[in-house]
Amino acid sequence: MLATVLSATVHGLEGRVIRVEVDVAPGLPGFSIVGLADAALLEARERVRGAIRNSGFAFPPRRITVNLAPADLRKAGASLDLGIALGILLGSEQVTATRGRWGLVGELSLGGEVRYVPGLLPMLVSLARRGVRRAIVPADGVAEARLVAGIESHPAATLAEAIELVRAPRTRPASRGAHPARVELTGDDEAAIPPDEEPHDGLQAVAQPGWPDLAEVRGQSEARRALEIALAGGHGLLMIGPPGCGKTLLARTIPGLLPPLDDEEALRATIVESVAARAPVQGLVRRRPFRAPHHTVSYAGMVGGGPRLSPGEVTMAHDGVLFLDELPEFDRDVLEALREPLEEGSIAITRVGRATVFPARFQLVGAMNPCPCGRTGSETEACRCPTGVPARYAARISGPFRDRIDLWVEMSRVPPGDLVSVPAPESSAAVALRIADARVRQAARPASNGRLSGRRLLAAASLSSEASQTLVALANLESLSARGTERLLRVARTIADLANEGRVTSAHLKEAARFRSPARRMADVVARG
Amino acid sequence: MSVHESATPRSPADGDPVPTATASLTEREAWAVLQTANGLGPVGFGRLLRRHGRARTVIEIAQRPDGARALVGAGLPGDDLEPDEGDDREGARARRLDPEVAAGIVTAARGAAVILEQIAKLGLEVMTLEDQDYPTRLLALELPPPVIFLRGDRAALSAERTVAVVGTRRATEAGRRLAREIGITISRAGGVVVSGLAIGIDGAAHSGAVAARLPTVAVLGSGHGELYPRAHVPLAGDIVATGGCVISELAPFVSGTRGTFPRRNRVISGLSDATVVVEAPRESGALITAEWALEQGRDCFLVPGPVGAPESAGCLRFLREYHGQARIVATVVGLLEDLGFQAEVRPATLPSALDLGETEQRLAALVSDGHATVDSLVARTGLAVSTVLSGLTLLEMRGLVAGAYGRYRPTGILVPAVEARRGGRRSVTARV
Repeated sequence: MLATVLSATVHGLEGRVIRVEVDVAPGLPGFSIVGLADAALLEARERVRGAIRNSGFAFPPRRITVNLAPADLRKAGASLDLGIALGILLGSEQVTATRGRWGLVGELSLGGEVRYVPGLLPMLVSLARRGVRRAIVPADGVAEARLVAGIESHPAATLAEAIELVRAPRTRPASRGAHPARVELTGDDEAAIPPDEEPHDGLQAVAQPGWPDLAEVRGQSEARRALEIALAGGHGLLMIGPPGCGKTLLARTIPGLLPPLDDEEALRATIVESVAARAPVQGLVRRRPFRAPHHTVSYAGMVGGGPRLSPGEVTMAHDGVLFLDELPEFDRDVLEALREPLEEGSIAITRVGRATVFPARFQLVGAMNPCPCGRTGSETEACRCPTGVPARYAARISGPFRDRIDLWVEMSRVPPGDLVSVPAPESSAAVALRIADARVRQAARPASNGRLSGRRLLAAASLSSEASQTLVALANLESLSARGTERLLRVARTIADLANEGRVTSAHLKEAARFRSPARRMADVVARG
Repeated sequence: MSVHESATPRSPADGDPVPTATASLTEREAWAVLQTANGLGPVGFGRLLRRHGRARTVIEIAQRPDGARALVGAGLPGDDLEPDEGDDREGARARRLDPEVAAGIVTAARGAAVILEQIAKLGLEVMTLEDQDYPTRLLALELPPPVIFLRGDRAALSAERTVAVVGTRRATEAGRRLAREIGITISRAGGVVVSGLAIGIDGAAHSGAVAARLPTVAVLGSGHGELYPRAHVPLAGDIVATGGCVISELAPFVSGTRGTFPRRNRVISGLSDATVVVEAPRESGALITAEWALEQGRDCFLVPGPVGAPESAGCLRFLREYHGQARIVATVVGLLEDLGFQAEVRPATLPSALDLGETEQRLAALVSDGHATVDSLVARTGLAVSTVLSGLTLLEMRGLVAGAYGRYRPTGILVPAVEARRGGRRSVTARV
């Protein structure tokens, strides 16, 4: 008998509805899956076999063929397990279902438990779009599934529960008495077992509350100002300073300074989190992403990819901030790969046959030492790096990459005297308010200031003739290229927005120039080597 | 002999026939070519001249087909010693020209055209021992370099007062700043700063003089064509532009090696009345310069650093070893007095229209007083960070302030002026 059910997989950030056709036919016992299934999916055979047997049903000793349609789409992951299992039970007439369209999503354990699968949210979105009104989802993912409007999500913790939901009223009992013998070797406490296959990707905890407040950062007014401008205009920022001067602390205040996501952004961010996460999403993600991958992050970890084609750091930082501490320590390939998303706002990962485009419009914040030993620029100590090493260190950040950073700020250790004499610094709340206001002002323009260029930038700046002269003088002072001049103007536009002024004046330009000069110094260091 | 002819060698590009034969070589050109001969030092150079009379003759012999053998055969006259029969073989060999050096001379002589073209292309002047304006301080050395290749105004070499300011390449910011301040004050007091154009202290000393728009002398440890460090190529240009000069005793195509830099240090101290070492770790080349200065009978000053600071360890050890000879720098004013600058310090020349607003004037005064960070400027003025930042940019545009690594320093005319006569009191005046 042939049974057909609907399920879904995820490709990139998109859910794909999959039709699972199960034919249980007479013949030699066998179980095959056709339809471009990946390795994890082929292993579904074993999971489904175990789950059915351990849920009190019989695995039919017949010739079972599972076809996954559309046939040309490559399918990955274990989200189809539940659909396949139910298809077999229906096909072998052990279960009869009520009529109606159900979407079935979930991975099965050998014991018949339904497990959460990453990407549940986009899968349900695609099912809902296909007109499916009811779905069965893993019990622990039901909060995530219910974020999707227009589809009724029913939780199922086990295969048996799922069957209860679809079962027609008149059927014979599911089992004849006792369950088959079942050995529990995993213990009762699931949480005590370390999660499987947790690759080390050096992520720092991100979703945790308790980020430092700007009021905790003493001194560093120049860098604080740079950070405020960068966040207000979506500009790339690079902080250069000796170890212990507060670069990382300052960066860690970013989450508390960013305005929350709007509805559209929030849904996208939640989908990304759903696809990337190893645990169910508990609600709509409203906090703007702040990602801080460690410098040992792999290429695939940064741009996305891997066996499951999962989104990388650049995508998880979409609409938010990507913070790269110790910038020159990242692999050169990893850094160079950032150029495309910095320019395009997205990243394309090409695999045999098809390219997947992930969104990746993030704001880059970097931090680095002035030289490997960190003493360059120190008042009391001389740099101890061997000749040529500082140049090589600086050169790890290529020219084209440097060109994509709008704001540069150099920091020195705050002398103890300044820690006391400097007036109490502003708190994050006050700065966040200004940032939000400046962002509102940019909403009227075609793009955020960090992405304005050419004619649109000039129009937004509306320079007076005096300001134009200042711009030329500053471009000469800092020996700026055309691109560098544009960056200066862009930053000045944001400074004007922070001051709630319609036109960019020479004062704004002069302030913006402060944040260009370290770039020239770094280019000099590179040229020296 | 063409001592007083134009210092610029004839360029083949000028339409003159390429000088392949000696006939077209002037004596000055012959000196220049001979100086570039591999392996020939001041001693050999002098002996050759005494033996053959003129450099042209040497080149002439070297250009003959059997040039090398002829040069070796002619030998070198023993200094005032008649060769006698009892002379042992070693003595005879010592007076003979080393065949390798002879080969070097032959190579140089045959490539004379190329060498002279290089000199012309780099715009170098050739100064020889026989020139009237050859610096007298160098003449006083035991073995003055026979030929100096130079770019810029040679008058700086013979200034009334010259002071070498040298130190480590790996300097602290404080060391660089002090070197710069010394460079500026000595220049303003009418002295000429001599240094080695290296990264670090040397460069800071030069740039102080350049910032004061006064002449300074850079002595290269390489040929002009291989100027090292490359990062200081623009600084060398500035030195020439502000009336100073860049010199080297090495052939233009010689690149700097282990041996050339210590040799250069001898010229630095030799050109100067006194040598000041700002920061020197143990084994620093700057200490070689200081030793040369003492050996040449010149004054030698060292800036004592804190005990235990590696950047100054060499200075301290030197002061201990040469107790009674080497002197210390306690203050810039004190140094100036010890150097014998009696003249009133030239007042900083203030351009009439600096066009600074009230805010910028306040900032300029504070930076000049040593308030280096934006934090401290904001705390002192109560101004908004953005106002301070744009004010600093304006000061930078006017050449009054330079920012680096999060600190802002006075530069140009904003550097605290020193009045030497006031018994060591340093008056800080930001007159803007």
